[in-house]
Amino acid sequence: MRRGRVDRTLVVAGLATIALGALLLLDRLGSIDLRFDYLAPAVLAAIGIVLISAGLS
Amino acid sequence: MSSAAPLAVRRDPQHGYLGGVCAGFAARVGIDPLLIRIGFIAAVALGGVAIPLYAIAWVLIPSDSPERPAFQRLLTRQDTWLVAAGMGCLTAAGLLLLRTWDVWFVNDRFLWPLVIAATGGALIWRQSQTAPERVAQRARLPRQTVNRATAGAALVVGGALIFLYANDALAPARDVVVPVLVILVAVAIILAPWWIRLVRGLADERAARIRSQERAEVAAHLHDSVLQTLALVQKRADDPREVAALARRQERELRAWLNNSRPSGEETLASALEAAAAEVEGDHHVPIEVVTVGDRPLDDRSAALVAAAREALVNASKFAGPEPISLYVEATEERVEVFVRDRGPGFDVEEVPTDRRGVRDSIVGRMERHGGHATVHSTPGYGTEVELVIE
Repeated sequence: MRRGRVDRTLVVAGLATIALGALLLLDRLGSIDLRFDYLAPAVLAAIGIVLISAGLS
Repeated sequence: MSSAAPLAVRRDPQHGYLGGVCAGFAARVGIDPLLIRIGFIAAVALGGVAIPLYAIAWVLIPSDSPERPAFQRLLTRQDTWLVAAGMGCLTAAGLLLLRTWDVWFVNDRFLWPLVIAATGGALIWRQSQTAPERVAQRARLPRQTVNRATAGAALVVGGALIFLYANDALAPARDVVVPVLVILVAVAIILAPWWIRLVRGLADERAARIRSQERAEVAAHLHDSVLQTLALVQKRADDPREVAALARRQERELRAWLNNSRPSGEETLASALEAAAAEVEGDHHVPIEVVTVGDRPLDDRSAALVAAAREALVNASKFAGPEPISLYVEATEERVEVFVRDRGPGFDVEEVPTDRRGVRDSIVGRMERHGGHATVHSTPGYGTEVELVIE
């Protein structure tokens, strides 16, 4: 059976989305206090990692 | 009288960055998309109304070809700009976090210039990582590489200037810089027509030089192949089978040359030289002793050297008598030397008639056109040695 090639960019984008989702979940559960001052850098970092991954693929 | 219907506006996602709206309008108006994009960015800077207009145009104007979603196209571009944008985002994220934690040196006057400089630095860094292999393949850096490196340098310098301006460090220099800039702009306006004429003149001269070199290359090839074969056909006119074989081989060779393909089995310099020697030996029935030391892949310059060596072998076969001809090759990655020696009657190089193209065009001229050089050592009565070198 022929296996599809792994798209590294999509994997990184998925992991970044999971990490952001985990942060939002922890905030919702009250474990952390996720203010805009922390959320904005987190979103920017996720976008940056995905862009670098796409550019280097 | 009927008039043609005006062309409808269609988005051009294949040549666009987002939805292809600017590229579509540029194609409709018949101008460079860059001009429309500059206008769009100016409209965004003036009031931001261009963004909703772009979105409406994206939705309402149909595309001229099937398109993938913009996000997918963005992520599947293997682009230096993506790395630079990503580095800018990461730097902004880190600095915003430091600002939230009240780290002493991070404030708005420091943050955004550093983000711009980091983006430019990433552009330059990425280009410096990708350039060497391209340089190895091509004599000049691709225009895109130069443009990106220039954009990166401009971003770094821009970031530094914004930082200095935001911290009032440029105030003392302003009184000097503004008059100098004004004078430079005035001088540029005055000198622009001469500069444009100079650039056009250089481009015309370069085009003429390229045409002349291509013509010389074609002439040398025709001399080495068709004219030599015709001379052999005349010599072997009493043997119809050999004449037919010569014609067939010449036809194959010409077709391969027109299709820009090399015969199979000639992937290296040594194999191509051995094949050329075998061919000349078969045509002229004079033994050729081939000695090769080292080898390298056959590229355009090596192929020119093989053609020049072949011409030297043909000359030796025609004029040097039945004595064996020696072909000695020494090849490394950096340098190739080929020596073709015969024990024939020799000749005076200075007295070769100007209408004889063999030595002048097919050997010396060809080697010079490909960045090498050829030297003919010959003394009447003592044989001839042709030395071919590429470095």
